[in-house]
Amino acid sequence: MKLTVILAAAAMAASALVPLQVHAQDAPVNLVWQMWGDEKDTPLWESLAALVTEEYPNITVTPQISGWTDYWTRLPILASSGQIGDLVAMQSMRMPSFYSVLEPLDSYFATDSFDVSAFETSIIGGLSHEGTHYALPYDVGPWLVFYNHDKFAAAGLADPAMDWTFDDFKAAALKLSTDGNYGYAAQTFDFIAAPVALGAEYFNDANAFDLTNAGYVDAVGKFVDLVAVDKASPLIASGATDSAYGRFSSGNAAMYIDGPWSLISTQGAVDFKMGVAPLPRGDGASRFITAGSGWGISAASKNKDAAYKALKVLTGPKAAQILASGGRALPGRLAEQSYWYDVAAKDVIGAREALTYAFEHSTPFRLNDKWNEFENLLTQYIPLALNGDSTTQAVLADIQSQLP
Amino acid sequence: MAALHETTATATVPRQRSAGGFHAAEGRTAFFFLLPSLLGVTLFLVLPIIASLVLSFTNWKLLGAPAFVGIANYVRLFTADPQFWPVLRNTLFFTAEYLVLNIVISLGLAVWISSLKMGQRWFRVIFFLPTFTPTIAVAIVWMLIFAPDGLFDSVMSALSIHMPSMLTDQKLAMQAVVIVSLWANVGYNTVLFNAALDMVPVNYLEAARIDGAGAWARFWKIRLPLISPTLFFGTVMTAITSLQVFDQIYVMTRGGPGNATATLGFAIYQRGFENFQMGYASTIAWVMFAMIMALTALQFWLQRKWVHYDN
Repeated sequence: MKLTVILAAAAMAASALVPLQVHAQDAPVNLVWQMWGDEKDTPLWESLAALVTEEYPNITVTPQISGWTDYWTRLPILASSGQIGDLVAMQSMRMPSFYSVLEPLDSYFATDSFDVSAFETSIIGGLSHEGTHYALPYDVGPWLVFYNHDKFAAAGLADPAMDWTFDDFKAAALKLSTDGNYGYAAQTFDFIAAPVALGAEYFNDANAFDLTNAGYVDAVGKFVDLVAVDKASPLIASGATDSAYGRFSSGNAAMYIDGPWSLISTQGAVDFKMGVAPLPRGDGASRFITAGSGWGISAASKNKDAAYKALKVLTGPKAAQILASGGRALPGRLAEQSYWYDVAAKDVIGAREALTYAFEHSTPFRLNDKWNEFENLLTQYIPLALNGDSTTQAVLADIQSQLP
Repeated sequence: MAALHETTATATVPRQRSAGGFHAAEGRTAFFFLLPSLLGVTLFLVLPIIASLVLSFTNWKLLGAPAFVGIANYVRLFTADPQFWPVLRNTLFFTAEYLVLNIVISLGLAVWISSLKMGQRWFRVIFFLPTFTPTIAVAIVWMLIFAPDGLFDSVMSALSIHMPSMLTDQKLAMQAVVIVSLWANVGYNTVLFNAALDMVPVNYLEAARIDGAGAWARFWKIRLPLISPTLFFGTVMTAITSLQVFDQIYVMTRGGPGNATATLGFAIYQRGFENFQMGYASTIAWVMFAMIMALTALQFWLQRKWVHYDN
């Protein structure tokens, strides 16, 4: 008697936990949209989701926001446990590791002759894997030098030219390193983006890491020496992130390297006139890598057609305009980029020129499935070259030996 | 009173024996009451442990299906991975230094607190505070203190002490991790040892004092042997947690500079959740598990020499 009561109670409790799986034919479709970001950005993403419902009244999109770092830990776990949402945010640099969770979009593009030429070319490439499109971009940007215009002026330095060279950059960094302040604040990613701008390659022709080639070692060494020899930049610790941003915004460092995605927050944090310039070039012509993010359809989604409709709205002109006017993103859509220039970048010297110049001289950002590993190893090991414990050559050889 | 209890107990024995079914029913009820936590333990502890053992023989990359690779992961770990031995060395170095310092400092503090005439409770609370502060939060604050040109560097240069910035130096980075770990965790053992010291019977100490034993002799010959079971417990637990050290390293150094602070715990995270080599990460986890088991067994074996159980 007692046992049956207990079992009945257990059964009732269990049934309450199982979600009701009733699906009517014409029932509205709810799509879960996985996105990273700050909680304070939630209304922004919700306003984009509302655009979808406006266009397709039977589709609702629910954003599911997690922090940037957590997002990348959660994503593979959600994917492998079948809990992944219908729309998935993806960053170009993570595409080689995660393209398999996304649905290839080419067949969808073919059915409605969707035109990707409305988007900036380099980011369409960045969100593809081996020629297949996996996501549509909402933002894009090259790495740029953010500089403190007031300090440049006070030191009698002209604003950087679009095609300034490493020597110009170094001269400025040295001149601005006075009284406990630094001309430049290095951070790990500089040792990827800046050598490429100088013309170096970290890959061989087979798209595998070749970190010890003379060109890359030399180019990384130039930036390492700014820290280790010239002391034009403070040391960086392997654990600390954002220290360059902090030093720049507090006026401790006059230059650092970042992307347009940070421009709105950096601009809000500084109390001086700031400008942006392309990365310095080497002996050859300038060339710049870009990164960006977008949204794709989960390969496991049960509502792929609805998700494709939603995706087109989320990456459409109206959504791009909202994101650009709010300063949240330099749109991947070329036509809507002017909203960003007019709003987010209106007080920043050189924003439009530097970005236009960088897009004109963009080079494909070469990646492979070991990319995350490489970045982590660089973060961990580059401080050894910066503090003089080791040489650039030895550090890069060490990293290379750990990349299978 | 005691006699009465005994008689009732004896009297009930035959009745219990005759009603064997009652026991079974009781057992079943107990089983259902235990079921929630049994399910919890099975789902969240036993199954994952078995799963991780199975995974350690696969090449699972989180995405996609795992393939069985035999003992390849173990072979790679012990023979091919250039990072395994440095990581193991770092882990053992951290454990040895941190364990000794933790026990010495917490015992010292416990003795000092128990010698105080007043304010004992306050000091216990003060030293215990960091223990219930999240390690991540503690580590973030210390990272800012130790950051290049941070508070620590400013203080050092104000004192005209010229030294490299803690977190950018290969030797000092591990010391920074030790300092933060001590700051965060010494309070637990302090309170533990302090409570044990307070349990030492005063009459033993008084008798020793009358016999002419000095403070030093009383500590080594009476108090320390009497708190040795607690000391043993503290040592074993501290050794286990220090072999698993992760949070401080994750926040402060990310294993760097170079591999100066890369420990087993961090290596598991890095391989598993940054490089998505879940199979290989499970292998490291099982090696770590075996190591902790062995060291704990060794400590239990050694305790026969120095731990005194009063009864």
